[in-house]
Amino acid sequence: MSPLVYGLLFVVVAPLFGGLLAGVDRIVSARMQGRVGPPLLQPFYDVGKLFEKETRQVNPVVEPLLLGHLGFMAAAGALVLGGTDLIFIAFVFALAALCLVLAAGSVNSPYSFAGAERELVVLLASEPFFILMLAAICKVTGESTFQGVLASPVLVALQLPGVLLAFLFVATIKLRKSPFDISTSHHPHQELVNGLTSDMSGRLLGYVELAHWYESALLCVFVLLFFNWSVTLGLLAFAIAYGLEVLVDNSTSRAKWQLVLRSTWTVTLLFTGGNVLALFLLAR
Amino acid sequence: MANDMSALIVFLVAFPLVVSGVLLAVTKGALRNAIVVLACVVVAAASLVTVFAFGNGDAVFFGLPGGLTPGHAILVMEAAIAIFVVVVSLQNGRVLAPIMALAQLGIALYLDLGGHLPEPDPQRLFWFDRLTMVMVLVIGIVGPLICIHALGYMRDYQRSNPRIGGRRTSFFFLLFLFLAAMFGLVVSNDLPLLHVFWEITTLCSFLLIGYTRTKETVGYAFDALNMNLLGGLGFSVAILLLAGQPGGLDLAKLTAGPAAAALLPAIALISLAGITKSAQMPFSSWLLGAMYAPSPTSALLHSSTMVKAGVFLLLRLSPAMAGSAVGTMVAFVGLLTFLFVSIVAVTEQNTKKVLAYSTIGSLGLIVGAAGIGTPELVWVGVMIVIFHAVAKSLLFLVVGTLENRLYTKDMENFDTLLSRMPRVSVLALTGIAGMFIAPFGIVVAKWAAIRAFLEVPGFAGAAFLIIMAFGSSLTIFYWGKLLIKILSMRGIEPYERSVEDRVTRYEWFAETALAVGVIGVTAGLGLISEHVVGPYALTAFSAAPRAFLHLDPAMVIVMLVAVLFLPALALWASRASGYDLADFYTSGRTANAGHLMGAALGGTRTVTLRNYYLEGVIDGALVFRAGTLVCGVILTAMVLFGMVVRA
Amino acid sequence: MSHVSLFKRSPWILHYDGSSCNGCDIEVLACLTPLYDVERLGVVNTGNPKHADILLVTGSVNERNIEIIQNLHRQMPDPKVVVAVGACACSGGIFARAYNIQGGIDHVIPVDVYVPGCAARPESIIDGVVQGIAALELKHKRSA
Repeated sequence: MSPLVYGLLFVVVAPLFGGLLAGVDRIVSARMQGRVGPPLLQPFYDVGKLFEKETRQVNPVVEPLLLGHLGFMAAAGALVLGGTDLIFIAFVFALAALCLVLAAGSVNSPYSFAGAERELVVLLASEPFFILMLAAICKVTGESTFQGVLASPVLVALQLPGVLLAFLFVATIKLRKSPFDISTSHHPHQELVNGLTSDMSGRLLGYVELAHWYESALLCVFVLLFFNWSVTLGLLAFAIAYGLEVLVDNSTSRAKWQLVLRSTWTVTLLFTGGNVLALFLLAR
Repeated sequence: MANDMSALIVFLVAFPLVVSGVLLAVTKGALRNAIVVLACVVVAAASLVTVFAFGNGDAVFFGLPGGLTPGHAILVMEAAIAIFVVVVSLQNGRVLAPIMALAQLGIALYLDLGGHLPEPDPQRLFWFDRLTMVMVLVIGIVGPLICIHALGYMRDYQRSNPRIGGRRTSFFFLLFLFLAAMFGLVVSNDLPLLHVFWEITTLCSFLLIGYTRTKETVGYAFDALNMNLLGGLGFSVAILLLAGQPGGLDLAKLTAGPAAAALLPAIALISLAGITKSAQMPFSSWLLGAMYAPSPTSALLHSSTMVKAGVFLLLRLSPAMAGSAVGTMVAFVGLLTFLFVSIVAVTEQNTKKVLAYSTIGSLGLIVGAAGIGTPELVWVGVMIVIFHAVAKSLLFLVVGTLENRLYTKDMENFDTLLSRMPRVSVLALTGIAGMFIAPFGIVVAKWAAIRAFLEVPGFAGAAFLIIMAFGSSLTIFYWGKLLIKILSMRGIEPYERSVEDRVTRYEWFAETALAVGVIGVTAGLGLISEHVVGPYALTAFSAAPRAFLHLDPAMVIVMLVAVLFLPALALWASRASGYDLADFYTSGRTANAGHLMGAALGGTRTVTLRNYYLEGVIDGALVFRAGTLVCGVILTAMVLFGMVVRA
Repeated sequence: MSHVSLFKRSPWILHYDGSSCNGCDIEVLACLTPLYDVERLGVVNTGNPKHADILLVTGSVNERNIEIIQNLHRQMPDPKVVVAVGACACSGGIFARAYNIQGGIDHVIPVDVYVPGCAARPESIIDGVVQGIAALELKHKRSA
């Protein structure tokens, strides 16, 4: 199959994958709390319902921005599988996140605005990592595309253990898990109402959920890059990583943004930066 | 062809000079407007004709018509500059500037009267290649647009600063004098000649920063003068060192390939000049002080052209310093400056200063690219020169327009701008998108830079990569904050809408033209890369032809979508039925479209939302000082290293 | 519209506490605990009117919270239903004749389901929500 087909396949399959993942997440979380939890397909019911509800906008720019968020997020994944230069993806990924920030920030509700500012902070915290990660993967394999990395004889995870550790840390931000879910609080009755999404109703919230499913799938694709010898191995690693994230989510309280920024940068600098430095110094 | 070029270049330098002289005599507003508009049209047309005459071919060298050489004219100019600096400084009780100016004059006197200055080849006074072409287009098209904008801007500026009434003549005199000097600077191949033009731009900058002649601005003007004269002095010493070398004062020959060890100290000193001019750390503070000048000055001198002269020179030197310790140190200064100022920008609330930091950062990227010196990175550097010149001058002009209507430069006061000034907002968004939204030019350049850093071996490569990753994330933060403010909306009163009607037609024309330019250069990204910047980078390094930018179709589609996304969105939203679609959530308290919210005891409060400036995590002033220190140490090491190598 | 709506599978709730003595509030929260685990039915306690389908009000209406209740109800996108939980929310309860109390929730916004009890039992609250879902579906069909 041509890379283009893979790209299109991502656009179709990723929401299914992301939605199921969210369903599993909710069940596993409920079991950790001694509850039964919702049906597996609950996230699909929720998003389906959101598209049936009335949608009210506070500011006319919100819907186009959220469509931009969804579109760029899907495009980021499709471009990875479609064989585009991996480092370029980091910028598309950031652009997608920025669209969400702008949609929430332009609303003017104190909750939504605070959520937008915090999302900007976590974007600032996590973006250096993703640029370094993709650059490091390109460096060790000497390749620049997804297909190229998968075909490479080098096992990326062995060369980049520090980057992989940092990935586990930073993925907590992108998966919006506690303690780093400072921009949206998924659980009720908390400081920020729902942060970023406070003023999004109906299909607007639906777009955000869909985009998040794409984001989860994209993170899974990143894990596949680390375990490039076998897709099965990669999926297994992702499952373990995700399980850890759920455990952390259920056992920690939300951090302040200062802590998120400081700790993420420290981890990025120490583990990823150290790994990259070693790579450059040891390279012939 | 050389004859045509020679006549055209003389015209490009002489015409603005004549216009500036005429403007000094004209005091009547209407007449001045007519002359400026006409002169701008002529300058733009002349630069286009020059570029067509050049025809985008390989480098051409030529002299003055009739084989004249400047001879002692250079010495006369140097003396005039030195005397001017001495007089102005002593009037204001400054001593540092006169010392440096006199030292430069001393070197010029020694070289010229002592007969140490080799006679320049009359047919190699000027050098015109693809990089010169880019610079001429930037100066000849962006420059006149900013001059036209200034006609509208300065009228309102005068109104709000009545004390400086009669000085508008000198403002336009300086702008055109500056244009003449810039044209001369970018075409000169003879280093002493280049140095004269270099010093004239320094003086123009000095006088324009001190334009309002308050104690504060005069202080900033002298800061700028001192630092730029230091660079100029370094340049003079470099000329002194190079005068003894065969062909040393011929820029093209000097930069034809990796420099011999004997030439490195001179290269280091000229790099120092480039670094001061482009306001890299430790010299960044002068550009921040320069932000007190009227906005057209910031747009013309301090973002699109004069500071570009510094990086222009470094890009020229790039093949000579590539692979040497001097080159690596220049690269570190540039990239560390990019990182440090990006951190500081995050904590800054004054929009004009944010633009200044962003300018220093972008220049830092170019300096870094030039210092490492591979064809790919020089490609990146020149691409940033082009995109930055268009997008950042647009942003400075827009901020100027806002400042004259809203009486503020504070980012926080720009909220709900889309409701209040929709057309200006669209222009601002075009500029911001041009500066940083992912698939636009500068990010394409960043992406290409990261690709190129992967090829740099050892510690330097890893350090560059890490600096780039953090620096480029920081830019998202400060641009994002500005975007949030501009994109928010609220219900407004009719009188608020009328503010926008007072923007002059000169401002509309210049800003719209630059916005179209931003979209134009983005759309022409592939063409510019393939026909101009790519061939330039390859010939500069005498490298084998290769493709620089692999753009696959999917990438092009994503780019096209992102190119127009924000401006089109804003255009659409400002025409949409209005803001009041639904009220926002305030815990059930009544809040209306005018941003009033119910409060205790039946009162109402206005909702105000303030961006994060990372207080408590980042201390902007401290970071700035740290950066100044680190880069200062590297720079000192660079100059000393050059001396040691020579000895 | 022939398709089955998804409202019955995903009722999101906004809980508002009027002048409640907190008895009913504790019972509402009890519904979320492992014993009752109302998330089995897809119920989410959103805390945000813009996301909610069902407004669950405990306690009676007083002078100061009329505006709040009306605003929250207005900010919920259609279709939406209101469930009054407990005696106070239904009628003002034992506080009905206090000087500051206006009466039950239906005093200010239309109520679809009344859940009696002082305090209302979790079972009856869940039952009220299920009946609210039926009302939600009905409203959705009518508007479609």
